[in-house]
Amino acid sequence: MNAERDAIAKIWNWRITAFCALILLFVAIAAVSFGPISINFFKVFKTLFDLPGGASGQDRTVIIQLRLPRVILGVLVGSALATSGAVYQTVFHNPLADPYLLGAASGAGLGATIALTSSHHNLVGALPIFAFLGGVLAVFTSFIISGRFFADPNSLLLSGIAVGSFATAIQTYLQQRHSSALRPVYSWILGDLTSATWSVVGWSAIYIAIALLILFSVAKQLDGLMLSDEEAYSLGINPKKLRIIAVAAATLATATAVSASGLIGFVGIVVPHLVRGLTHRVTNRSLISIAMAGAAFLVLADLGARTLLSPAELPIGVITAFVGAPFFLVVLRNRRKAGQ
Amino acid sequence: MTIVVTDLTVRYGEKVVLNDISLEISSGRWTCLVGPNGAGKTTFLKVLLGMAPYSGSISDQGVEVFKNHNRNVAFVPQSPQIPQGMTVAEYVALGRSKKDGWGNESLKSRALIHKILVQTHLFGMHHNLVTHLSGGEMQRALIARALAQEPELILLDEPTSALDLHHQISVLNNIELLKEEGVTIISTMHDITLAAMFAEQIVIMKEGKVLLSGSSHEVIHSQELKKAFDNRIDVYTLDSGRPVIIASKGEAKEK
Repeated sequence: MNAERDAIAKIWNWRITAFCALILLFVAIAAVSFGPISINFFKVFKTLFDLPGGASGQDRTVIIQLRLPRVILGVLVGSALATSGAVYQTVFHNPLADPYLLGAASGAGLGATIALTSSHHNLVGALPIFAFLGGVLAVFTSFIISGRFFADPNSLLLSGIAVGSFATAIQTYLQQRHSSALRPVYSWILGDLTSATWSVVGWSAIYIAIALLILFSVAKQLDGLMLSDEEAYSLGINPKKLRIIAVAAATLATATAVSASGLIGFVGIVVPHLVRGLTHRVTNRSLISIAMAGAAFLVLADLGARTLLSPAELPIGVITAFVGAPFFLVVLRNRRKAGQ
Repeated sequence: MTIVVTDLTVRYGEKVVLNDISLEISSGRWTCLVGPNGAGKTTFLKVLLGMAPYSGSISDQGVEVFKNHNRNVAFVPQSPQIPQGMTVAEYVALGRSKKDGWGNESLKSRALIHKILVQTHLFGMHHNLVTHLSGGEMQRALIARALAQEPELILLDEPTSALDLHHQISVLNNIELLKEEGVTIISTMHDITLAAMFAEQIVIMKEGKVLLSGSSHEVIHSQELKKAFDNRIDVYTLDSGRPVIIASKGEAKEK
């Protein structure tokens, strides 16, 4: 009987999920503690959970108004990008797929550029909306161009590349015409969490929560999308419908993340691989762990972004790539060593 | 109980892939679709699965198959999409998805999966990743997953095409495990000799049409068979009574 139980490991392992949750909690509290003004870790903990002995006055303002929204935005954006990346990797049968694959990044980039280069100043304030619409429209166009709405993954991928290039071309043209906007566009492209206020956290939390709940609820079925459509169908799922749901939800999460924080690269590729490398399980089965690991990774990267050159800030995209790329190589090398 | 195909036609755009096929397939037996590339064998399997649209009728135990999700049909493709990061045991366990829900294998299912892993000689390598299996092992894993599905009907697309002789026989023996469970088996196969050895019913297809169908013995020894292959085959009978079909150079060789 033991051998029988041993034959298949339980699919959802709560220990891994709990471990990721603990890491995330620790990283988040640490991120609220550190900064130009350091606040005692335990004091932060007490303040956050409204226990006696919490911070007051200036410290409290720093915690509640400055750092907490920023950390929460990091949690939202990190979990959105990591989860979407994992889902895209499954849907496209491609371990190197990232959340920006279907033109979400280029579309959002174009939307942001239009906002930043427009002569109307109030449009600049609407940048998140422009970026969001740009990202969603680009992915939607990719779907339309790929032929049928229920397209196969490969034609969808190709039309995504075409739409992405097209949007980048227009974006570059606009930048050339409005060289004054080069710098803000560039800094937006690198991504940062400086926009974090409670209102940004509020609206992005709604969209990202909806998207992630949808993805978590279909996470187990996503395994079926790793097979051919006929196999998936014979195992009881409708692959075309599931693919649409998965891509739509992942796109909603990505577009929201991008409009709140710009283009932050590498999270969507590194984190799913990292969690998979550590847990030795199929990506979809650790989707919740991946979301939490992504959140922890981004909060940590943001902590680096704002403390390494303090008081100046590094773009967070620089940190994620700088840490992510070599880390990724190490993981790949270890995987090869382990014969995986 | 049988599968009754009536006036089945499938078009991809202008192209007629299956042309007015009418056929009966007995349940609990092994039926083999044989024919040259482009004969429409794979398309036939896909419409039998119920996923692809068609005109005409395919009735499986009295029910039209198109988009009928209540049937339990296993599908073994010719070139499977091999999932990254999945162990052999997890892969075989996918077969339980329809019965237990995705990722919720019951204890009973686990016992079944264990039994199947042993039967298909995959136990011991069940913690390996499927991406690291050899061609023959992968084929066995696919059949193990189909066994786990406990299907009423299994469709296999060229289950032996990429394998050496030894693995071909081992895979075909594994498919016979399904027959012992009373499962209806429909497979495509290039090798008509192997088809004659294992299948009870053979359907010869060419250019979207069924040229010939019947029991293996009838089909192999009928004159129509040679016509179906443009007289480019020779049929011999071994001392044991087993038929052997080999390619010949063409019309010149009439036996």
